[in-house]
Amino acid sequence: MDALSRLVRLSLARERKGAFFSAFGVAMGVGALVFFLGLGLGVGRVIREKIFPTDARLVDVVPSAVSLGSLLGGGKLDAATVERLAALPGVEATYRKMNVRVPAVTRYDGVFFGARLRMGMEVLAVGVEPGLVKDDVKLGEFKDPSEGQPIPALVSTRLLELYNKTFAPARKLPQLSANMIVGFGFPVEFNRSYVAATTGGPTGAAQTQVVGASDRAMLAGITIPLETAVRINRQAGVDAETFTGVTLVASDPSRVPAIVDAVKGMGLEIDDQERRMAENTGAAVALVTSALALLSILICILAAVNIAHALSASVRARAKEIGVMQAVGASRADVRGIVLAEAAVVGLFGGAAGTALALLMAFGVNRLAVSQLPNFPFKPDSFFSFPWPVVVGGVLLGLVAALAGAYFPARRAAATDPARTLAG
Amino acid sequence: MIRARDIVKEYVDGDGTKVRVLDGMSLDVQDGDFVAVVGPSGSGKSTLLHLLGGLDVHYQGEVEVGGVKLRGLDDKALARFRNTHVGFVFQSFHLIPNLSALENVLLPSHFGASREDARKRAEAMLERVGLGAKKDRAPVRLSGGERQRVAIARALFTGPKLLLCDEPTGNLDAATGDGVIQLFKELHREGLTVLAVTHEDRMSAAARRVLRLKEGRLVEERADLHLATRGAP
Ligand SMILES: Nc1ncnc2c1ncn2[C@@H]1O[C@H](COP(=O)(O)OP(=O)(O)OP(=O)(O)O)[C@@H](O)[C@H]1O
Ligand SMILES: [Mg+2]
Repeated sequence: MDALSRLVRLSLARERKGAFFSAFGVAMGVGALVFFLGLGLGVGRVIREKIFPTDARLVDVVPSAVSLGSLLGGGKLDAATVERLAALPGVEATYRKMNVRVPAVTRYDGVFFGARLRMGMEVLAVGVEPGLVKDDVKLGEFKDPSEGQPIPALVSTRLLELYNKTFAPARKLPQLSANMIVGFGFPVEFNRSYVAATTGGPTGAAQTQVVGASDRAMLAGITIPLETAVRINRQAGVDAETFTGVTLVASDPSRVPAIVDAVKGMGLEIDDQERRMAENTGAAVALVTSALALLSILICILAAVNIAHALSASVRARAKEIGVMQAVGASRADVRGIVLAEAAVVGLFGGAAGTALALLMAFGVNRLAVSQLPNFPFKPDSFFSFPWPVVVGGVLLGLVAALAGAYFPARRAAATDPARTLAG
Repeated sequence: MIRARDIVKEYVDGDGTKVRVLDGMSLDVQDGDFVAVVGPSGSGKSTLLHLLGGLDVHYQGEVEVGGVKLRGLDDKALARFRNTHVGFVFQSFHLIPNLSALENVLLPSHFGASREDARKRAEAMLERVGLGAKKDRAPVRLSGGERQRVAIARALFTGPKLLLCDEPTGNLDAATGDGVIQLFKELHREGLTVLAVTHEDRMSAAARRVLRLKEGRLVEERADLHLATRGAP
C-alpha cells in the first residue's frame, strides 16, 4: 500500500500544476465557508452572550396590562398569585421584583474616579430578591440595610458597557470595569423629582453603594434589595403589596413553554421582549450566514467540477499507464482507488489549507478590528467562533468535494479497456 | 500451458458492421514451449494475446491458461490471474515514465499479495536481464533494448510460467533485438513458456514452433520435431 501511495504521489507530482489549481479551488470554497460560518457563529455568540444575554430557564412574569384581567380578579401579582406561580409544575424557584413607585433623583457633586463630576438626574429603582442576583453581588450582603447603612445597589452590565463606550468618551470620564465600581457610593433622594409631581409625602434621603454589576439588573436604573423597595414604597404611602414582576426559574429549558402557557392561563403576561429581540437578531445573522455559506458551497461545487475536469484530462492522458497497471494485475477497483486517492490528497490538502486560511483571516480581522474600529458598545474581542466541528468539517468538506469531482473520472479510468490502449 | 477452443472474436466497426477477427480458432501450447505467432498486420495477433492474457473478455469460446479457466472469472479474479499467471511484454515497452527501472519492475507487487522480499526480488530480476547497475534510472535514460529488458524483468517479477509478447523486438534495431531474442531463448531454456507475436524472421527462427494466423485461425507453419514428439500427449 505504501508503494501504491508512492504511485499516487508521483502522479500528483507530475500533474503538479493541475493538482495545485484543483486544491486551490477547494481551498477557496472551504476557506470561504469556514470563514463565514465562524463569523456567523461568532456574531451570534456576541448577541447571545453580550447584547441580549438571556437565560433559557428564566420566565419573566408581569401583570396583565389589560384591565380585563384585573376585573376577573387575576392579572395582579400579589403574594397569593406568586404562591400559585411557585406551585406550577416545572418551576424551581420564583424571584419577586417591585419597582420603587415614587420618583427618585441623584445629585452628584464630587470626584468621580479621578475626574470631577457634577450632575443630577432622575433614577429608577427596582427591588429584587437576593437569590436572583446572588452570583453578581461582590460586596456585603444584598439585603435591606439597617439604619444609617448604605443601600446595596447593582447596576446593569449593559449600562456599564454603554457608559464606557459612549457616555464616558464624550464627557472625558474614565472607563470603568465591573470591579472598579464596587464600593462606589452616591446619594439618592426618594420621593423627589426634577420633572414630575410627587405624592407630596416626605422625601427620603439615602446613601447607596454599588455592590456589583449584573446581567439581571435593570438597564436604566439601579437594582436594590426587594425589602428596601417595599419599605420605601410603604413609607411613601404607595402600593407596597403587588409586585412589578416575578422571575420564574424552570427546572429545565424544555419546561419553559408549558410554564408560559400556564402563566398566560392565569391572566398574566410574559415579558419576552429581550428574548424576542435576541431571537430576531439571531435569525437575521443566521440568514446572512446561510446565504454566505451557500455561496461558499457553490464555490466548493465549482471546485469539484474543476477537479472532475482536470482528472478527466489526466486520466485520458494516462490511459496507457492505466492499461499497463491492469496488465500487471490492477483490477478495476484498484484503478478507481488510485484516481480517488489522488483526489483525496488534493481535497484534504485544499480543505486543510482553506481552513487554515480562514482561521488566519479571522485572526487578521480581529486584529484589525482592535486597532482600526472605534470602541463601540458590545464590541467583542473576537468576531469569530470556530467550534471544532467547523474546523474538522472544513477539512472533510474539501475531501468530499474532491471525491465527488473524482467520481466520474475514477469510473472512467476503471472502465479503461487495456486491450485497446496497449495494442501497438 | 495454453488450451484455447473455438475462439470467435468480433469487433464492431465504426459503421456498425461486425468484423470477425478470430473465427473458430483453437490453440494448444505445451508447458515450456517457445511459440511464435506470425501473420500480416491486422490479422488479429494482438487480439489473440490479449484474450489469452485475460485483458479481453469479450469473445466466444474457451480459454484455459496454466490450469485456470478464464471464462466466468470476475474482474478481481482476472486481475489476480494477470498478476500471477502471465507476464506481458509489449512492442513499445510501456514503462511508466516517472518511475525508475526498479520501481517499474516492482509495479506488479502493488496489485498482488505483498511480499517482503519484493525489492530484493526486483533487483534480482534486473540483475537477471543484465541491468543491475541501472536499476535507479528513469526509463528515458535507458536505451530501447534496456527498456525492453526492464519490461521483461517486470513481466517476470511475480514468477509467471507464461510470457506473452507482442512484437517484443519491433521497436529495436537488429543488434539490440538479437540481444533480447537471446534473452528469451535463455528464459525458455530455464523453463518459461513463451508465446511471442512477431513480424521478424529472427524471432520466429528462435522459436521452437511457428504458427501463422490466417483468416482467423492458426495454421502450423513449422514445428520443432523432437519437441513436438516430446510434448505430445
Ligand atoms: N478495439 C477495436 N475496435 C475495432 N476493431 C479493432 C479493435 N482492435 C483491433 N481491431 C481490428 O481487429 C483486427 C486485428 O487487430 P490486431 O491488433 O489484433 O492485429 P495485429 O495482428 O496485432 O496487427 P499488427 O501486426 O499491426 O499489430 C484489425 O483489423 C483491427 O483493425
Ligand atoms: Mg498487434
